[in-house]
Amino acid sequence: MNPEALHSGLIETLSLTLVITSVAAVEMRRLKFSIAAYLCQALLIVGLLLSFASVNKALYWWAATALLTKVILTPWFLFRAIRGVDDHELKPVIGFGPSVVIVALLMISFFRLTHGRFALLAPSGMAQLGVFRTNLAVASTVFALGLYAVLTRRDAVKAVIGLCLLENGVHLSLVSLAPGLSETALFGVASEVVVTVFLLLYVIGGVRQVFGSTDTFRLRELRF
Amino acid sequence: MPGEALTQTSVLPAAVFLLPVLAGVVLISATRASRVLQQWISVLTMVTVTGLGAWMARQILRGFVLTTWNQELRVDALSALMVVIIGGIGLLASIYSLRYIEERTGKNLVASRTHTFYGLLMWFLGTMLWGCVTNNVIMLYVAIEATTLTSGLLVAFYWDRRALEAGYKYLMLLTIGITFALFGCVLLYAGAAATNKLDGASALLISDIRRVTQFIPGGTAAVTIAFLIIGFGTKAGIAPFHPWLPDAHAEAPAPISVLLSGVMIKMSLYALARTVSPFYPAWPQVTIFIVALGTFTMLLGIILALTQNDLKRLLAYSSVSQMGYVLAGVGLGTYLGCYGGLYHLVNHALAKSLLFMCVGAVMYATGARRISELGGLKHQMPITSACYFLGALALAGFPPLNGFWSKLTIYLALARAGLWWAAGIAILASILTAVVMVRAGYRVFWGNGPSVDAPSPSFKEVPAGMFVPMMILAAICVLLGVYPQAPYPLLHRAAAVLATLGR
Repeated sequence: MNPEALHSGLIETLSLTLVITSVAAVEMRRLKFSIAAYLCQALLIVGLLLSFASVNKALYWWAATALLTKVILTPWFLFRAIRGVDDHELKPVIGFGPSVVIVALLMISFFRLTHGRFALLAPSGMAQLGVFRTNLAVASTVFALGLYAVLTRRDAVKAVIGLCLLENGVHLSLVSLAPGLSETALFGVASEVVVTVFLLLYVIGGVRQVFGSTDTFRLRELRF
Repeated sequence: MPGEALTQTSVLPAAVFLLPVLAGVVLISATRASRVLQQWISVLTMVTVTGLGAWMARQILRGFVLTTWNQELRVDALSALMVVIIGGIGLLASIYSLRYIEERTGKNLVASRTHTFYGLLMWFLGTMLWGCVTNNVIMLYVAIEATTLTSGLLVAFYWDRRALEAGYKYLMLLTIGITFALFGCVLLYAGAAATNKLDGASALLISDIRRVTQFIPGGTAAVTIAFLIIGFGTKAGIAPFHPWLPDAHAEAPAPISVLLSGVMIKMSLYALARTVSPFYPAWPQVTIFIVALGTFTMLLGIILALTQNDLKRLLAYSSVSQMGYVLAGVGLGTYLGCYGGLYHLVNHALAKSLLFMCVGAVMYATGARRISELGGLKHQMPITSACYFLGALALAGFPPLNGFWSKLTIYLALARAGLWWAAGIAILASILTAVVMVRAGYRVFWGNGPSVDAPSPSFKEVPAGMFVPMMILAAICVLLGVYPQAPYPLLHRAAAVLATLGR
């Protein structure tokens, strides 16, 4: 196998493994395992960015930022949020069996849709190369799985994990769609996610203190 | 239409947002500084920011566009208009908060948290100003998300059940919504870069992207517009993406409600108009969709307001409705529509800030905010009562108040574009607004209290520090009604920036 094919193969393998970590983060019922799956995904993203960096040198900076924000800070905040409390996720709206089926359908449909209609999202020539095409399809799948988790999970901490996946999906798409993004913009986008997670977990800490639970179904005081 | 503006390098665009950000750093760090010092730092910062905004507006009116940092920051008439509004309303909200925040949070809490309140307030204003002066499409997203992050803890400031619920929903829903905007901004950049008419760096600049949007492929343009509308529309409170708005605007402290309803949602609509309007010449059908969304928003918002018993929620739903007018105006893409939309953006900022201050004054004096628990306050709170009715009538578009002229301009623009159905819905929503606002005011200030037999408690008018900002806003509403041409020079240039479909 020539080095280029090997490189493409490596990128595609990493991309597809990302989807598996997303499913694990969504479906694991123990929050610490779910966070661990997210951490694995973050490491894979750093690996993926380093692989792409051979094509686009600016991605080395992006990889370093992702290492700090996604691999170190975000999981640290999440683990701190569940420290000393029962880490079993509150029963979600959709049970395990149907949820796995929905997740599988989402994966297949979003991956196929983006892979098939990539020109709609990626008008540039570079983004239409095979590896970037796979990357974009994986990005949209991770985004969809994150959105699914946010919408169907009643545990606020799990919803934050879903939000992190959603953001990972968008950030992955930047590799294909916005390779020339300046370092300042990349840093701004990445650091904002960390601050969002920190603030959300801080407010969730208050919710746990005042409501005695992180069950979003109990947040009904302001219902219309 | 104004001629081609001359570009001038200036430190003003950077200074106008860095100043409150730095003041915020000082305030957050100054845990041992006295409360009075913290408050005056914030007021003086906003006085300076308002002065800088006025100075920038003067430069713009002399035919300049101000830029700095390799065009990363750029202030044209539209940005200057937004800076003046944010600076002015921010200053009045800061003054209003001096007495309000002490009374509403209790002495012990104030001692430990005023520095956080004023620090976050400065950051909130600073990030809004940053969003208005940035010319980088990705940093526009970053700035708008930053406004959510800086205001999230302000929404949850009281840290009770209701505030925490509102804070959680606010942070969660707006972050999800704005992620769509990031996707939209990235696609806008990718689409512009793929036209091969811009180099890498300039494809990030909104002022350059405007020149090449017609070359972006149709499918990409459609997906981009959809993501931008969902993303920025969520933050602007456009229906059906508005559910976060009544909770957050109602549960935040009154000075923050003033900023959320008065300026923050406008700033998001500004971002929407900036990024979507360049597509109109190539995709005029988008304007019909946006006008339809605007009319749906104005009608749904006011219908939901009709059923409210909580004064702050009522005002929040009315903000949803009024944003529909602004969206319908600027969404038309014509000069008249953009002029009316931007004029209403200014007028709504003034009237809604005034109304939230009046409701804050009622809460300050009585501790209640449900209409059914209030009544007969006109003798005890005459200034608040007069200011409320002025704001309510201005909002409803009664002549000769300011809201009348902006709404009339929007009706005319819709009719001129042949969208009579939209003009009809806009007029109907205005009538409903008058009913909702006057009925609520009548019951609170003129009606009987909850128990006619019980002796009336002795409430009194709020302190001068609170009613003076209210009187200033009420006076501006009257002045702009009697002299509607006053903001014309700046509005004319700002409308010309957005009007991509001619007159």
